[in-house]
Amino acid sequence: MQPSLRHRKTSLNPGGGYWIWYLLPAILMYSIFMAYPMLDSIRLSLYAGTTGSREYIGTANYVRLFTDPVVSARFWGAFKNTWVFFAFHMLVQNVLGMLFAVILTNRTMRGRQFYQTIIFIPCTIAVMVSGYLFRLLLNPQFAGPTLRSMGLNALVHPWLGDPKSALSVVSLVSVWQWVGIPTMMFVAGLQSVSEDLLEAADIEGCNSWQTFRHIRLPLIMPVIGMIAILTFVSNFNAFDIVYAMTGPNGPPNYSTDLIGSLFYRYGVAGEHPIGIPEPGVGAAIATSVFVMLLIGVLPTLKATQGKE
Amino acid sequence: MKKLTAIFVAILILMTLMPMSALAGEAVKLTMGSWRSDDTTQVQALLDEYKEMTGVEITFAPTVPAQYNATLRLQLDNGTGPDLMYSRTFATSKELYDAGFLMDISDIPALAENFTPASLEAFQADDGAIYAVPYAAVSQIVYYNKAIFSENDLEVPATFEDLLKIGQTLKDKGVEPFANGIASNWDILECVFLGMLPNYVGGAANRALYETGEKKMNDEAFVKALSDFAALSKFLPEGFEAINNEDGPAMFGIGRAAMFIDGSWTVGMFDDYPDLELGVFAIPAPEGNEPGLCFHSDMGMAGNTATKHPEEVKDFLAWFASAEGAQEAANLLPGGFYPMINLPLTLSGEMAQSILALNEGKELDFRFIWKDFMDMYTIMVDNLNAIARGETTPEAAAEAFAAAQEEILAAKK
Repeated sequence: MQPSLRHRKTSLNPGGGYWIWYLLPAILMYSIFMAYPMLDSIRLSLYAGTTGSREYIGTANYVRLFTDPVVSARFWGAFKNTWVFFAFHMLVQNVLGMLFAVILTNRTMRGRQFYQTIIFIPCTIAVMVSGYLFRLLLNPQFAGPTLRSMGLNALVHPWLGDPKSALSVVSLVSVWQWVGIPTMMFVAGLQSVSEDLLEAADIEGCNSWQTFRHIRLPLIMPVIGMIAILTFVSNFNAFDIVYAMTGPNGPPNYSTDLIGSLFYRYGVAGEHPIGIPEPGVGAAIATSVFVMLLIGVLPTLKATQGKE
Repeated sequence: MKKLTAIFVAILILMTLMPMSALAGEAVKLTMGSWRSDDTTQVQALLDEYKEMTGVEITFAPTVPAQYNATLRLQLDNGTGPDLMYSRTFATSKELYDAGFLMDISDIPALAENFTPASLEAFQADDGAIYAVPYAAVSQIVYYNKAIFSENDLEVPATFEDLLKIGQTLKDKGVEPFANGIASNWDILECVFLGMLPNYVGGAANRALYETGEKKMNDEAFVKALSDFAALSKFLPEGFEAINNEDGPAMFGIGRAAMFIDGSWTVGMFDDYPDLELGVFAIPAPEGNEPGLCFHSDMGMAGNTATKHPEEVKDFLAWFASAEGAQEAANLLPGGFYPMINLPLTLSGEMAQSILALNEGKELDFRFIWKDFMDMYTIMVDNLNAIARGETTPEAAAEAFAAAQEEILAAKK
């Protein structure tokens, strides 16, 4: 019987299945550094205590996370805040990024390099530094006198101390810092749109909005999709900007508490003043969010992948 | 290629052998964990001196304060904990002892001789075992700017009512009375409210009545303390909602506010402001109340049960608890930390001494909730923040405290 091509023994494939050696490095790296820690953190969520004194407690961490009035209020609060934080980036950061990119790629634009650099500079500043600077700028005690002398009394407000404004302000600072990334990617996308198409559109009498809406936008859709996924991923991991601007407790009154800071408090640092972390609860938070995001992401992923 | 491999293997072998050859030497090397990263030079000097005396080498390996508890816990869990370590007080360190990480050092005779039972209480397990040598205490007091006070003809207040009057006078003149804010979510409770509390509920004996449930936290004393806190919070600076415990000292230091209620540990920070004429006074008691002061046990020295050199660790702790060791250690305590040893020690730092002098004639106690009511911490902070923002009343806050107290006592039974 003629063996199928796949199982034929050749000098390159002596045992049949030699291909496995080509995959092995990637599979090993992936399993050791991605799959194993993730599965282990799911296992960890079923335990209480830390390394030395770990004790299996079944789903007690989850029960506590969803039924304990204090813990569940914190969890859902942080979950909601994270969505708001994400929405700011999706709607403000990415729309601004697109706007900047369109302006920067305009053929009549002068000083493009200069503006591009200015927009990108904040991305190179450490979050701890920019967060701290904005904390001072937004504080009436430090920025108040300057603002008042400029007649901008309405801007003198404890922005980060007011539960109504704190989260929006933190989100906007983060938007300010990272808007350069989508801008650069959109610029690259828009530049790759063929000049021929734009010229043809010009000749056909398209105005600039029509050119943008019906030619450039559809052509950079893949970039938009990628930016959306990147925004989603990076904002559900967000922690640093909150830590720098308001602290790990998410003050005032937990209004800036994100999943990241909640996880840090319960799982890594422990809650002040005792400060003894509960990795099990932290892992339960991470696993719950993972499952919830998976439910949300899977249909999206399927839909976008089907298109290709 | 073969050559390279040979060199690589040689280096590997050398690397594994090196620490072994170091171990083979007669010198004992210990490490000391701490959250006092600011004191590295001073502590290392003490440890060098100890090495000269005994030949035991101890390396000071501090962590940043905010991460000390978590880092230490992780190290202990994984068996890489330091041999000696600074110990927090009450629940935080008791948990480590109960988990078997801290040595029982009750048999060091100097402990009973040189320390009061109240000092030892902060490091005592339920079975009475002592697991750390008491080291230092801190107090919660009011710092004031002497220049601002004399410009406005103000004097150090004798009663809480006087303090409020000073607040009003300054506010009317456009000077910020206090530099305290609520953004850090801890100092408004630990320094301000728990600093005030001994003036209202009294000392250790009265605290015990709340711990047994005989007294409720919505009694007259608590409501009065909370209403006085509410009155005081009217004089917090503009934007206090966004001012944290790093902004506060800076504001006070540059003369932007007249007073700052904080811990004695902050005193060293004001050395950075040479123009500041610094003065201190105790948080005054309301008229008719006996004055009290929050003098809080803050740190101890403990030994790791997993150490390779238990003898040397214990010897160090015994020396640390002795009069001689305590004096050496007291010399290097930063300003605002006070040795807990029950012996007359000389203290450096004029301002630190005048803070300690405020203790005289007052009923002293550690922070009210530290022993039994640590679980109330968040509830208290949240309610104090709400009072300061004007979102709740002192009476409602007292009810919330009493409910939490009842819950904790019920859980204990």
